[in-house]
Amino acid sequence: MSVDWITVIAQIANLLVLIWLLKRFLYRPILDGIDAREAEIADRMTAATQAREQAENVEAGYHEQVEIFRAGESAMTDTTRQQAEVEREALLADAQVRIDTERKDWTTHLQHEEQKYMSELHRVGGKALLSLTRKALGDLSDETLEERVVAHIDTKFIPMAQELRHEAGEGAEIIASTRDPLSKTAQDKLLVKLQQIVPGLKLIFDTDANQSPGLILRMGGAEVAWTLDTYIEGLDTLLQEHLASESGMNVGADNGH
Amino acid sequence: MELTPDSIIVFELWGFAVNATILNTWIIMALLTGVSMLITRNLRPDVPPNRWRTMLEVIVLGIQGQIEEISRHSSKYLLYFSGTLFIFIVTSNLLMVVPGFDPPTASLSTTAALALSVLVAVPMFGISSRGLWGYLRTYLEPTAIMLPFNIISEITRGISLAIRLYGNVMSGAMIAAILLGVAPFFFPVAMDMLGLLTGLVQAYIFAVLATVYISAAIAEPKNNNKPKENQ
Repeated sequence: MSVDWITVIAQIANLLVLIWLLKRFLYRPILDGIDAREAEIADRMTAATQAREQAENVEAGYHEQVEIFRAGESAMTDTTRQQAEVEREALLADAQVRIDTERKDWTTHLQHEEQKYMSELHRVGGKALLSLTRKALGDLSDETLEERVVAHIDTKFIPMAQELRHEAGEGAEIIASTRDPLSKTAQDKLLVKLQQIVPGLKLIFDTDANQSPGLILRMGGAEVAWTLDTYIEGLDTLLQEHLASESGMNVGADNGH
Repeated sequence: MELTPDSIIVFELWGFAVNATILNTWIIMALLTGVSMLITRNLRPDVPPNRWRTMLEVIVLGIQGQIEEISRHSSKYLLYFSGTLFIFIVTSNLLMVVPGFDPPTASLSTTAALALSVLVAVPMFGISSRGLWGYLRTYLEPTAIMLPFNIISEITRGISLAIRLYGNVMSGAMIAAILLGVAPFFFPVAMDMLGLLTGLVQAYIFAVLATVYISAAIAEPKNNNKPKENQ
Protein backbone atom coordinates (compact mmCIF):
# COMPACT_ATOMS: atom_id res chain seq x y z
CA MET A 1 0.00 0.00 0.00
CA SER A 2 1.80 3.07 -1.25
CA VAL A 3 0.89 6.40 -2.72
CA ASP A 4 2.10 7.30 -6.19
CA TRP A 5 2.30 11.04 -5.94
CA ILE A 6 2.45 11.50 -9.66
CA THR A 7 -0.79 9.61 -9.89
CA VAL A 8 -2.13 11.70 -7.05
CA ILE A 9 -1.33 14.89 -8.91
CA ALA A 10 -2.76 13.46 -12.10
CA GLN A 11 -5.93 12.40 -10.32
CA ILE A 12 -6.30 15.85 -8.77
CA ALA A 13 -5.97 17.31 -12.24
CA ASN A 14 -8.40 14.75 -13.56
CA LEU A 15 -10.86 15.64 -10.82
CA LEU A 16 -10.62 19.32 -11.63
CA VAL A 17 -11.11 18.61 -15.30
CA LEU A 18 -14.05 16.35 -14.51
CA ILE A 19 -15.56 19.05 -12.34
CA TRP A 20 -15.29 21.49 -15.22
CA LEU A 21 -16.63 18.97 -17.72
CA LEU A 22 -19.60 18.04 -15.59
CA LYS A 23 -20.26 21.66 -14.82
CA ARG A 24 -20.19 22.40 -18.54
CA PHE A 25 -22.12 19.40 -19.82
CA LEU A 26 -24.22 18.23 -16.88
CA TYR A 27 -24.96 20.67 -14.09
CA ARG A 28 -25.44 23.83 -16.06
CA PRO A 29 -27.63 22.34 -18.82
CA ILE A 30 -29.70 20.45 -16.30
CA LEU A 31 -30.06 23.38 -13.87
CA ASP A 32 -30.61 25.85 -16.68
CA GLY A 33 -33.17 23.52 -18.20
CA ILE A 34 -34.92 23.21 -14.86
CA ASP A 35 -34.81 26.98 -14.37
CA ALA A 36 -36.11 27.55 -17.89
CA ARG A 37 -38.85 25.02 -17.37
CA GLU A 38 -39.75 26.55 -14.03
CA ALA A 39 -39.78 29.96 -15.67
CA GLU A 40 -41.96 28.62 -18.44
CA ILE A 41 -44.23 26.98 -15.87
CA ALA A 42 -44.33 30.26 -13.99
CA ASP A 43 -45.17 32.05 -17.24
CA ARG A 44 -47.85 29.52 -17.97
CA MET A 45 -49.15 29.82 -14.45
CA THR A 46 -49.22 33.58 -14.85
CA ALA A 47 -50.94 33.23 -18.21
CA ALA A 48 -53.33 30.70 -16.70
CA THR A 49 -54.02 33.05 -13.80
CA GLN A 50 -54.66 35.89 -16.22
CA ALA A 51 -56.82 33.64 -18.35
CA ARG A 52 -58.67 32.56 -15.25
CA GLU A 53 -59.17 36.15 -14.15
CA GLN A 54 -60.35 36.98 -17.66
CA ALA A 55 -62.65 33.99 -17.61
CA GLU A 56 -63.94 35.05 -14.19
CA ASN A 57 -64.57 38.54 -15.55
CA VAL A 58 -66.37 37.06 -18.52
CA GLU A 59 -68.31 34.81 -16.19
CA ALA A 60 -69.21 37.78 -13.99
CA GLY A 61 -70.32 39.70 -17.08
CA TYR A 62 -72.29 36.70 -18.19
CA HIS A 63 -73.97 36.41 -14.82
CA GLU A 64 -74.70 40.13 -14.92
CA GLN A 65 -76.24 39.73 -18.36
CA VAL A 66 -78.24 36.77 -17.12
CA GLU A 67 -79.49 38.83 -14.18
CA ILE A 68 -80.45 41.65 -16.53
CA PHE A 69 -82.20 39.22 -18.83
CA ARG A 70 -83.95 37.63 -15.89
CA ALA A 71 -85.07 41.03 -14.61
CA GLY A 72 -86.27 41.93 -18.12
CA GLU A 73 -87.91 38.56 -18.43
CA SER A 74 -89.69 39.07 -15.13
CA ALA A 75 -90.90 42.53 -16.14
CA MET A 76 -91.94 41.22 -19.54
CA THR A 77 -93.74 38.35 -17.89
CA ASP A 78 -95.55 40.73 -15.55
CA THR A 79 -96.51 42.99 -18.45
CA THR A 80 -97.66 40.04 -20.50
CA ARG A 81 -99.59 38.66 -17.56
CA GLN A 82 -101.27 42.03 -17.02
CA GLN A 83 -102.08 42.31 -20.71
CA ALA A 84 -103.41 38.79 -20.68
CA GLU A 85 -105.49 39.64 -17.62
CA VAL A 86 -106.91 42.72 -19.32
CA GLU A 87 -107.54 40.72 -22.48
CA ARG A 88 -109.14 37.99 -20.45
CA GLU A 89 -111.37 40.48 -18.68
CA ALA A 90 -112.33 42.03 -22.01
CA LEU A 91 -113.03 38.63 -23.53
CA LEU A 92 -115.03 37.61 -20.49
CA ALA A 93 -117.03 40.83 -20.66
CA ASP A 94 -117.58 40.35 -24.37
CA ALA A 95 -118.54 36.74 -23.79
CA GLN A 96 -120.88 37.80 -21.01
CA VAL A 97 -122.50 40.34 -23.30
CA ARG A 98 -122.83 37.70 -25.99
CA ILE A 99 -124.22 35.22 -23.54
CA ASP A 100 -126.71 37.79 -22.27
CA THR A 101 -127.69 38.67 -25.82
CA GLU A 102 -127.99 35.05 -26.80
CA ARG A 103 -129.89 34.29 -23.64
CA LYS A 104 -132.22 37.18 -24.37
CA ASP A 105 -132.60 36.05 -27.96
CA TRP A 106 -133.11 32.53 -26.78
CA THR A 107 -135.68 33.66 -24.24
CA THR A 108 -137.44 35.68 -26.91
CA HIS A 109 -137.21 32.73 -29.24
CA LEU A 110 -138.58 30.47 -26.56
CA GLN A 111 -141.41 32.89 -25.89
CA HIS A 112 -142.12 33.09 -29.60
CA GLU A 113 -142.00 29.35 -29.82
CA GLU A 114 -144.25 29.15 -26.82
CA GLN A 115 -146.66 31.61 -28.34
CA LYS A 116 -146.40 29.83 -31.62
CA TYR A 117 -147.01 26.57 -29.90
CA MET A 118 -149.90 28.01 -27.94
CA SER A 119 -151.31 29.54 -31.10
CA GLU A 120 -150.90 26.23 -32.89
CA LEU A 121 -152.39 24.50 -29.93
CA HIS A 122 -155.31 26.90 -29.95
CA ARG A 123 -155.66 26.53 -33.66
CA VAL A 124 -155.52 22.76 -33.50
CA GLY A 125 -157.83 22.86 -30.50
CA GLY A 126 -160.21 25.06 -32.44
CA LYS A 127 -160.03 22.74 -35.41
CA ALA A 128 -160.58 19.79 -33.17
CA LEU A 129 -163.45 21.60 -31.57
CA LEU A 130 -164.90 22.41 -34.97
CA SER A 131 -164.39 18.90 -36.15
CA LEU A 132 -165.93 17.46 -33.03
CA THR A 133 -168.79 19.93 -33.25
CA ARG A 134 -169.24 19.15 -36.90
CA LYS A 135 -169.15 15.47 -36.23
CA ALA A 136 -171.46 15.76 -33.25
CA LEU A 137 -173.95 17.87 -35.12
CA GLY A 138 -173.67 15.70 -38.23
CA ASP A 139 -174.19 12.60 -36.20
CA LEU A 140 -177.13 14.12 -34.41
CA SER A 141 -178.72 15.72 -37.49
CA ASP A 142 -181.33 13.96 -39.61
CA GLU A 143 -184.13 14.81 -42.07
CA THR A 144 -185.94 16.57 -39.25
CA LEU A 145 -183.11 19.15 -39.23
CA GLU A 146 -183.49 19.82 -42.93
CA GLU A 147 -187.27 20.00 -42.60
CA ARG A 148 -186.72 22.48 -39.73
CA VAL A 149 -184.51 24.44 -42.06
CA VAL A 150 -187.19 24.46 -44.67
CA ALA A 151 -189.77 25.48 -42.04
CA HIS A 152 -187.79 28.53 -41.14
CA ILE A 153 -186.40 29.35 -44.56
CA ASP A 154 -188.41 32.51 -44.85
CA THR A 155 -186.76 34.02 -41.73
CA LYS A 156 -183.40 33.30 -43.27
CA PHE A 157 -184.03 34.39 -46.84
CA ILE A 158 -186.36 37.35 -46.27
CA PRO A 159 -183.46 39.74 -45.41
CA MET A 160 -181.83 38.80 -48.69
CA ALA A 161 -185.03 38.57 -50.79
CA GLN A 162 -184.02 41.56 -52.86
CA GLU A 163 -180.68 40.04 -53.74
CA LEU A 164 -182.20 36.64 -54.46
CA ARG A 165 -184.75 38.16 -56.82
CA HIS A 166 -182.01 40.08 -58.54
CA GLU A 167 -179.86 36.96 -58.94
CA ALA A 168 -182.67 34.63 -59.95
CA GLY A 169 -184.79 36.93 -62.14
CA GLU A 170 -188.25 36.14 -63.45
CA GLY A 171 -188.89 32.39 -64.12
CA ALA A 172 -185.52 31.39 -62.81
CA GLU A 173 -184.51 27.86 -61.98
CA ILE A 174 -183.43 27.20 -58.44
CA ILE A 175 -181.83 23.95 -57.32
CA ALA A 176 -182.51 23.04 -53.70
CA SER A 177 -179.82 20.60 -52.54
CA THR A 178 -180.06 18.58 -49.30
CA ARG A 179 -178.12 15.60 -47.92
CA ASP A 180 -181.29 13.58 -47.42
CA PRO A 181 -184.37 13.73 -49.62
CA LEU A 182 -187.01 16.16 -48.36
CA SER A 183 -190.49 14.96 -47.67
CA LYS A 184 -193.26 15.99 -50.04
CA THR A 185 -194.69 18.29 -47.41
CA ALA A 186 -191.34 19.97 -46.88
CA GLN A 187 -190.83 20.29 -50.64
CA ASP A 188 -194.23 21.94 -51.06
CA LYS A 189 -193.65 24.22 -48.11
CA LEU A 190 -190.26 25.24 -49.53
CA LEU A 191 -191.72 25.88 -52.94
CA VAL A 192 -194.48 28.10 -51.47
CA LYS A 193 -192.07 30.11 -49.38
CA LEU A 194 -189.59 30.61 -52.22
CA GLN A 195 -192.33 31.68 -54.64
CA GLN A 196 -193.32 34.31 -52.08
CA ILE A 197 -189.81 35.72 -52.36
CA VAL A 198 -189.15 35.01 -56.01
CA PRO A 199 -192.43 34.65 -57.85
CA GLY A 200 -192.57 32.28 -60.81
CA LEU A 201 -189.45 30.36 -59.99
CA LYS A 202 -188.90 26.78 -61.00
CA LEU A 203 -187.65 24.66 -58.09
CA ILE A 204 -185.62 21.48 -58.60
CA PHE A 205 -184.84 19.22 -55.63
CA ASP A 206 -181.56 17.47 -55.42
CA THR A 207 -179.67 15.37 -52.82
CA ASP A 208 -175.91 15.11 -52.13
CA ALA A 209 -174.71 12.52 -49.61
CA ASN A 210 -171.44 14.45 -49.18
CA GLN A 211 -173.16 17.66 -48.38
CA SER A 212 -173.41 19.01 -44.85
CA PRO A 213 -176.84 18.66 -43.32
CA GLY A 214 -179.00 21.65 -44.26
CA LEU A 215 -180.20 23.40 -47.39
CA ILE A 216 -178.26 24.89 -50.28
CA LEU A 217 -180.00 26.95 -52.96
CA ARG A 218 -178.17 27.42 -56.29
CA MET A 219 -179.46 29.97 -58.76
CA GLY A 220 -177.32 30.74 -61.74
CA GLY A 221 -173.86 31.49 -60.47
CA ALA A 222 -175.10 32.31 -56.95
CA GLU A 223 -175.42 29.99 -54.04
CA VAL A 224 -177.15 30.43 -50.69
CA ALA A 225 -176.46 27.86 -48.01
CA TRP A 226 -178.04 27.25 -44.61
CA THR A 227 -176.22 24.21 -43.36
CA LEU A 228 -174.29 23.00 -40.34
CA ASP A 229 -171.09 24.04 -42.10
CA THR A 230 -172.42 27.55 -42.15
CA TYR A 231 -172.56 27.53 -38.36
CA ILE A 232 -169.20 25.76 -38.02
CA GLU A 233 -167.61 28.33 -40.28
CA GLY A 234 -169.08 31.05 -38.15
CA LEU A 235 -167.62 29.39 -35.06
CA ASP A 236 -164.30 29.07 -36.84
CA THR A 237 -164.32 32.73 -37.70
CA LEU A 238 -165.01 33.60 -34.10
CA LEU A 239 -162.15 31.37 -32.89
CA GLN A 240 -159.73 32.86 -35.42
CA GLU A 241 -160.65 36.37 -34.40
CA HIS A 242 -160.20 35.42 -30.73
CA LEU A 243 -156.74 33.81 -31.34
CA ALA A 244 -155.67 36.79 -33.43
CA SER A 245 -156.66 39.22 -30.73
CA GLU A 246 -154.90 37.08 -28.04
CA SER A 247 -151.65 36.86 -30.08
CA GLY A 248 -151.68 40.62 -30.52
CA MET A 249 -152.01 41.03 -26.78
CA ASN A 250 -149.09 38.62 -26.04
CA VAL A 251 -146.76 40.34 -28.53
CA GLY A 252 -147.62 43.67 -27.01
CA ALA A 253 -146.93 42.27 -23.54
CA ASP A 254 -143.47 40.86 -24.65
CA ASN A 255 -142.45 44.13 -26.24
CA GLY A 256 -143.46 45.80 -23.04
CA HIS A 257 -140.89 43.56 -21.15
CA MET B 1 -2.35 -10.10 -7.37
CA GLU B 2 -1.88 -6.34 -7.48
CA LEU B 3 -3.25 -4.42 -4.50
CA THR B 4 -3.45 -1.20 -6.48
CA PRO B 5 -3.91 -0.46 -10.15
CA ASP B 6 -1.17 2.14 -9.86
CA SER B 7 1.39 -0.56 -10.49
CA ILE B 8 -0.21 -1.56 -13.78
CA ILE B 9 1.39 0.55 -16.46
CA VAL B 10 -0.79 0.52 -19.50
CA PHE B 11 1.19 2.72 -21.82
CA GLU B 12 3.51 5.68 -21.87
CA LEU B 13 2.57 9.08 -23.19
CA TRP B 14 5.36 11.52 -23.89
CA GLY B 15 7.56 9.69 -21.37
CA PHE B 16 4.81 9.69 -18.78
CA ALA B 17 3.73 6.25 -17.61
CA VAL B 18 -0.02 6.03 -17.76
CA ASN B 19 -1.13 3.45 -15.26
CA ALA B 20 -4.52 1.71 -14.99
CA THR B 21 -5.71 4.18 -12.36
CA ILE B 22 -5.29 7.16 -14.61
CA LEU B 23 -6.53 5.36 -17.70
CA ASN B 24 -9.65 4.09 -15.94
CA THR B 25 -10.20 7.57 -14.55
CA TRP B 26 -10.11 8.94 -18.06
CA ILE B 27 -12.52 6.24 -19.16
CA ILE B 28 -14.91 7.23 -16.39
CA MET B 29 -14.49 10.91 -17.26
CA ALA B 30 -15.18 10.18 -20.91
CA LEU B 31 -18.16 8.05 -20.01
CA LEU B 32 -19.68 10.66 -17.71
CA THR B 33 -19.01 13.51 -20.10
CA GLY B 34 -20.25 11.59 -23.10
CA VAL B 35 -23.46 10.52 -21.40
CA SER B 36 -24.05 14.05 -20.13
CA MET B 37 -23.44 15.55 -23.55
CA LEU B 38 -25.64 12.95 -25.18
CA ILE B 39 -28.55 13.53 -22.87
CA THR B 40 -28.32 17.31 -22.52
CA ARG B 41 -27.41 18.15 -26.14
CA ASN B 42 -30.86 19.35 -27.17
CA LEU B 43 -32.36 20.81 -24.07
CA ARG B 44 -35.34 23.02 -24.75
CA PRO B 45 -37.71 24.29 -22.10
CA ASP B 46 -40.78 23.74 -24.26
CA VAL B 47 -39.92 20.07 -24.91
CA PRO B 48 -40.93 17.65 -22.17
CA PRO B 49 -37.88 15.84 -20.73
CA ASN B 50 -37.28 12.28 -21.80
CA ARG B 51 -36.56 9.49 -19.35
CA TRP B 52 -32.74 9.93 -19.49
CA ARG B 53 -32.93 13.63 -18.92
CA THR B 54 -35.39 13.00 -16.12
CA MET B 55 -32.93 10.53 -14.61
CA LEU B 56 -30.13 13.12 -14.72
CA GLU B 57 -32.44 15.75 -13.25
CA VAL B 58 -33.37 13.40 -10.45
CA ILE B 59 -29.70 12.71 -9.72
CA VAL B 60 -28.64 16.36 -9.86
CA LEU B 61 -31.62 17.57 -7.85
CA GLY B 62 -31.12 14.75 -5.36
CA ILE B 63 -27.51 15.76 -4.85
CA GLN B 64 -28.52 19.41 -4.59
CA GLY B 65 -31.22 18.55 -2.08
CA GLN B 66 -28.78 16.57 0.05
CA ILE B 67 -26.25 19.41 -0.04
CA GLU B 68 -28.90 21.98 0.95
CA GLU B 69 -30.07 19.70 3.71
CA ILE B 70 -26.55 19.38 5.08
CA SER B 71 -25.20 22.87 4.53
CA ARG B 72 -28.51 24.71 5.07
CA HIS B 73 -27.84 26.89 2.10
CA SER B 74 -27.60 26.49 -1.65
CA SER B 75 -24.29 26.83 -3.44
CA LYS B 76 -23.64 25.93 -7.02
CA TYR B 77 -19.92 25.56 -6.44
CA LEU B 78 -20.54 23.12 -3.63
CA LEU B 79 -22.83 21.22 -5.97
CA TYR B 80 -20.16 21.11 -8.64
CA PHE B 81 -17.53 19.88 -6.20
CA SER B 82 -19.45 17.46 -3.99
CA GLY B 83 -21.67 16.30 -6.80
CA THR B 84 -18.68 15.52 -9.00
CA LEU B 85 -17.01 13.66 -6.15
CA PHE B 86 -20.14 11.56 -5.62
CA ILE B 87 -20.73 10.87 -9.29
CA PHE B 88 -17.10 10.01 -9.92
CA ILE B 89 -16.79 7.72 -6.92
CA VAL B 90 -20.10 5.99 -7.43
CA THR B 91 -19.38 5.42 -11.14
CA SER B 92 -15.97 4.12 -10.33
CA ASN B 93 -17.29 1.80 -7.64
CA LEU B 94 -20.17 0.53 -9.80
CA LEU B 95 -17.78 -0.24 -12.68
CA MET B 96 -16.01 -2.57 -10.28
CA VAL B 97 -18.31 -5.30 -11.56
CA VAL B 98 -16.97 -4.92 -15.09
CA PRO B 99 -14.45 -7.75 -15.59
CA GLY B 100 -10.91 -6.46 -16.02
CA PHE B 101 -11.81 -2.96 -14.90
CA ASP B 102 -9.87 -1.83 -11.86
CA PRO B 103 -11.82 0.95 -10.22
CA PRO B 104 -9.66 4.04 -9.69
CA THR B 105 -11.07 4.38 -6.20
CA ALA B 106 -9.34 1.10 -5.37
CA SER B 107 -6.10 3.08 -5.65
CA LEU B 108 -4.85 4.85 -2.58
CA SER B 109 -3.41 7.49 -4.88
CA THR B 110 -6.86 8.30 -6.18
CA THR B 111 -8.51 8.40 -2.76
CA ALA B 112 -5.56 10.46 -1.48
CA ALA B 113 -6.04 12.82 -4.40
CA LEU B 114 -9.72 13.10 -3.61
CA ALA B 115 -8.99 13.65 0.08
CA LEU B 116 -6.37 16.26 -0.75
CA SER B 117 -8.89 17.95 -2.99
CA VAL B 118 -11.31 18.07 -0.09
CA LEU B 119 -8.58 19.33 2.22
CA VAL B 120 -7.82 22.13 -0.20
CA ALA B 121 -11.45 22.82 -1.00
CA VAL B 122 -12.43 23.26 2.65
CA PRO B 123 -10.21 26.29 3.28
CA MET B 124 -10.97 27.66 -0.16
CA PHE B 125 -14.72 27.57 0.44
CA GLY B 126 -14.16 28.85 3.98
CA ILE B 127 -12.02 31.74 2.87
CA SER B 128 -14.39 32.61 0.05
CA SER B 129 -17.23 32.64 2.52
CA ARG B 130 -15.67 34.17 5.63
CA GLY B 131 -12.54 35.79 4.33
CA LEU B 132 -8.97 34.73 5.11
CA TRP B 133 -8.84 35.88 8.74
CA GLY B 134 -12.33 34.74 9.44
CA TYR B 135 -11.44 31.30 8.29
CA LEU B 136 -8.11 31.13 10.09
CA ARG B 137 -9.83 32.23 13.26
CA THR B 138 -11.84 29.01 13.21
CA TYR B 139 -8.64 27.16 14.08
CA LEU B 140 -8.47 29.13 17.31
CA GLU B 141 -11.95 28.21 18.36
CA PRO B 142 -13.11 27.74 20.93
CA THR B 143 -9.67 28.78 22.37
CA ALA B 144 -6.20 29.25 20.98
CA ILE B 145 -5.08 26.14 22.81
CA MET B 146 -7.15 24.15 20.33
CA LEU B 147 -5.04 25.31 17.37
CA PRO B 148 -2.78 22.21 17.16
CA PHE B 149 -5.73 19.95 17.75
CA ASN B 150 -7.73 21.64 15.03
CA ILE B 151 -4.80 21.30 12.63
CA ILE B 152 -4.38 17.64 13.51
CA SER B 153 -8.12 17.16 13.13
CA GLU B 154 -7.99 18.77 9.70
CA ILE B 155 -5.19 16.47 8.57
CA THR B 156 -6.57 13.30 10.12
CA ARG B 157 -10.00 13.69 8.66
CA GLY B 158 -8.42 14.00 5.22
CA ILE B 159 -6.43 10.88 5.87
CA SER B 160 -9.50 9.09 7.19
CA LEU B 161 -11.44 10.07 4.09
CA ALA B 162 -8.75 8.65 1.85
CA ILE B 163 -8.10 5.48 3.84
CA ARG B 164 -11.79 4.72 4.38
CA LEU B 165 -12.69 4.91 0.73
CA TYR B 166 -9.54 3.14 -0.41
CA GLY B 167 -9.90 0.40 2.20
CA ASN B 168 -13.52 -0.33 1.42
CA VAL B 169 -13.17 -0.35 -2.34
CA MET B 170 -9.84 -2.12 -2.43
CA SER B 171 -11.02 -4.72 0.06
CA GLY B 172 -14.19 -5.30 -1.87
CA ALA B 173 -12.27 -5.78 -5.10
CA MET B 174 -9.73 -8.01 -3.36
CA ILE B 175 -12.39 -10.16 -1.72
CA ALA B 176 -14.17 -10.56 -5.03
CA ALA B 177 -10.89 -11.56 -6.69
CA ILE B 178 -10.00 -14.04 -3.94
CA LEU B 179 -13.47 -15.60 -3.91
CA LEU B 180 -13.34 -15.85 -7.68
CA GLY B 181 -10.38 -18.13 -7.22
CA VAL B 182 -11.92 -20.15 -4.39
CA ALA B 183 -15.55 -20.46 -5.47
CA PRO B 184 -15.80 -19.19 -9.02
CA PHE B 185 -19.56 -19.03 -9.42
CA PHE B 186 -21.81 -18.07 -6.55
CA PHE B 187 -19.75 -16.17 -4.01
CA PRO B 188 -18.16 -13.68 -6.39
CA VAL B 189 -21.58 -12.71 -7.65
CA ALA B 190 -22.90 -12.22 -4.15
CA MET B 191 -19.80 -10.31 -3.11
CA ASP B 192 -19.95 -8.17 -6.22
CA MET B 193 -23.56 -7.28 -5.42
CA LEU B 194 -22.51 -6.47 -1.90
CA GLY B 195 -19.59 -4.51 -3.35
CA LEU B 196 -22.03 -2.45 -5.43
CA LEU B 197 -23.97 -1.58 -2.31
CA THR B 198 -20.78 -0.86 -0.39
CA GLY B 199 -19.44 1.28 -3.22
CA LEU B 200 -22.67 3.26 -3.34
CA VAL B 201 -22.63 3.79 0.41
CA GLN B 202 -18.96 4.75 0.40
CA ALA B 203 -19.50 7.27 -2.36
CA TYR B 204 -22.38 8.72 -0.40
CA ILE B 205 -20.31 8.84 2.79
CA PHE B 206 -17.33 10.46 1.07
CA ALA B 207 -19.46 13.10 -0.62
CA VAL B 208 -21.51 13.78 2.51
CA LEU B 209 -18.41 14.10 4.70
CA ALA B 210 -16.79 16.42 2.17
CA THR B 211 -19.95 18.52 2.15
CA VAL B 212 -20.08 18.53 5.93
CA TYR B 213 -16.48 19.71 6.18
CA ILE B 214 -16.99 22.41 3.62
CA SER B 215 -20.30 23.42 5.19
CA ALA B 216 -18.64 23.69 8.57
CA ALA B 217 -16.00 25.91 7.02
CA ILE B 218 -18.48 28.23 5.35
CA ALA B 219 -21.01 28.26 8.18
CA GLU B 220 -21.54 31.63 9.83
CA PRO B 221 -19.98 31.59 13.32
CA LYS B 222 -22.20 32.08 16.34
CA ASN B 223 -21.53 35.49 17.85
CA ASN B 224 -20.80 34.45 21.42
CA ASN B 225 -19.15 37.79 22.28
CA LYS B 226 -22.15 39.83 21.39
CA PRO B 227 -23.55 40.08 24.96
CA LYS B 228 -20.13 41.17 26.22
CA GLU B 229 -19.92 43.83 23.51
CA ASN B 230 -23.26 45.04 24.53
CA GLN B 231 -22.10 45.29 28.09
